[in-house]
Amino acid sequence: MTPPLAIEGVPLGGGGRRDAVPLTVAVLAHEAVALLGDEESGLGRLGGYALGLEPPPAGRVTVFDTIIADLPERERLAVRRRVGYLPAGDGLLQNLSLRDNVALPLRFGSEASPREIEGRVNVMLVAARVTGVAGLRPAQATEEERRRAAFARALAFDPALLILEQPFNGLTARTSAELLELARGGETAEGARRTILITGQELPPGLHHRVERVFRVTRAGALELEAV
Amino acid sequence: MSDPISRLGGSTARRLSRLGALARFGFGALRSLGTLPAAGRAVALRVTLNQIRFTAADAVGLVVLLSGILSFLVISQAVRELGQLGATDFIGTLIVVAIVRELGPLITALTVAGRSGTAIAAELATNRVLGEVRALEAMGIDPRQYLVLPRFVGSLVSVFVLLVVFDLVAVGAGFAAARFNGMVAGRYFEIVLQSLALKDVWLTVAKAVTFGLIVGLVPAYFGLAVRGAPTEIPVATSRATVTSIVGIFLCSALFVVIA
Repeated sequence: MTPPLAIEGVPLGGGGRRDAVPLTVAVLAHEAVALLGDEESGLGRLGGYALGLEPPPAGRVTVFDTIIADLPERERLAVRRRVGYLPAGDGLLQNLSLRDNVALPLRFGSEASPREIEGRVNVMLVAARVTGVAGLRPAQATEEERRRAAFARALAFDPALLILEQPFNGLTARTSAELLELARGGETAEGARRTILITGQELPPGLHHRVERVFRVTRAGALELEAV
Repeated sequence: MSDPISRLGGSTARRLSRLGALARFGFGALRSLGTLPAAGRAVALRVTLNQIRFTAADAVGLVVLLSGILSFLVISQAVRELGQLGATDFIGTLIVVAIVRELGPLITALTVAGRSGTAIAAELATNRVLGEVRALEAMGIDPRQYLVLPRFVGSLVSVFVLLVVFDLVAVGAGFAAARFNGMVAGRYFEIVLQSLALKDVWLTVAKAVTFGLIVGLVPAYFGLAVRGAPTEIPVATSRATVTSIVGIFLCSALFVVIA
């Protein structure tokens, strides 16, 4: 079975130089994999490579056996909607309320009726526990509330694959565990947990045993498996 | 070292290439309208109405002021000077040709470019720097649908509306100036209407559409062209404003040639 996300021969370390050690790793269906490394490791670019936002210096990243960047524009946008993405720093639109941020991908990326969209947004806000502050704009909310809303937005389409960049920075271990459990989704429509790639500098204590594999990327780009 | 002719050729090629990129950007934005889902259309409409409120409604006072003062000064001087020559009939030509047809569209477009074009460029550049455009693309949202199209349509409508306001105020202020300098009311409107032709109407409409396109598209193009550094925001804003102003003047000259 083809893994939902496969990174093949992509040099990340050393600022994405072509001479860095190429990274090859596959995230199998229904597993959560964490790739950890410092800021210089180049992990921050991986989400962009996977979603076809920028080309990797070498190698390839496939999502559902597809190189998104190679697709025509409309199909590219359609495939991206099958992937939940939480960028570093949350990427919420500052001029929208948290509720409208969660609703935005549904409004622009689905043919659902306004009532269906409102229903889905309410479900996600409750699940992420931000209903009480949903009317606030990102600048008025706390970092935790913003992150919860960003998780709700990433999960709005109930994606089978999630890419989370530095998702737990600045959060307590308890909140991190709660949000990871929300992201994993328990049972999705296919009756299995979501496939997740987490990138960041560290995993909070207590989260290692909640993911299947944890790798550390060295500055040179080499991959070391950590015990979970 | 390259010779001046090659440098000139290189610079011209770059400008033409940018013009082509701008045209592709505009067509892409218009084409994205076709794939906008119903719920997205409602959001885009809300953003468009906001844009019209900021660009047109909030700028009415400024346009009334500029138009009123300009028309009053020009017609006051004209009534005095032309009156001495017994050629007050030319006031109609002055109002229609100089103010309604030429200065009206030009000043309106420059006002919108300076007031709202800069805001559009700075806002979109900030969206890019904050990673919001990247987030939209990553979520499968075409940024042109959410960010460009509403500002483009909003600017188009706003320039047209403000131009109508400008022209009406100009004719009104011209009337006040003519009365102030002793002209009979009926005579003023008679010579203005005599000078007004159908060609003036369609030329004004064509200019409103052209300038609206420039003011809506150029700032959006330069704003989204920013790559990520906050220091690029003022540069993009400045380039957008200068390019819009040059474009407005060039098109204005082109209209004189073709009409």
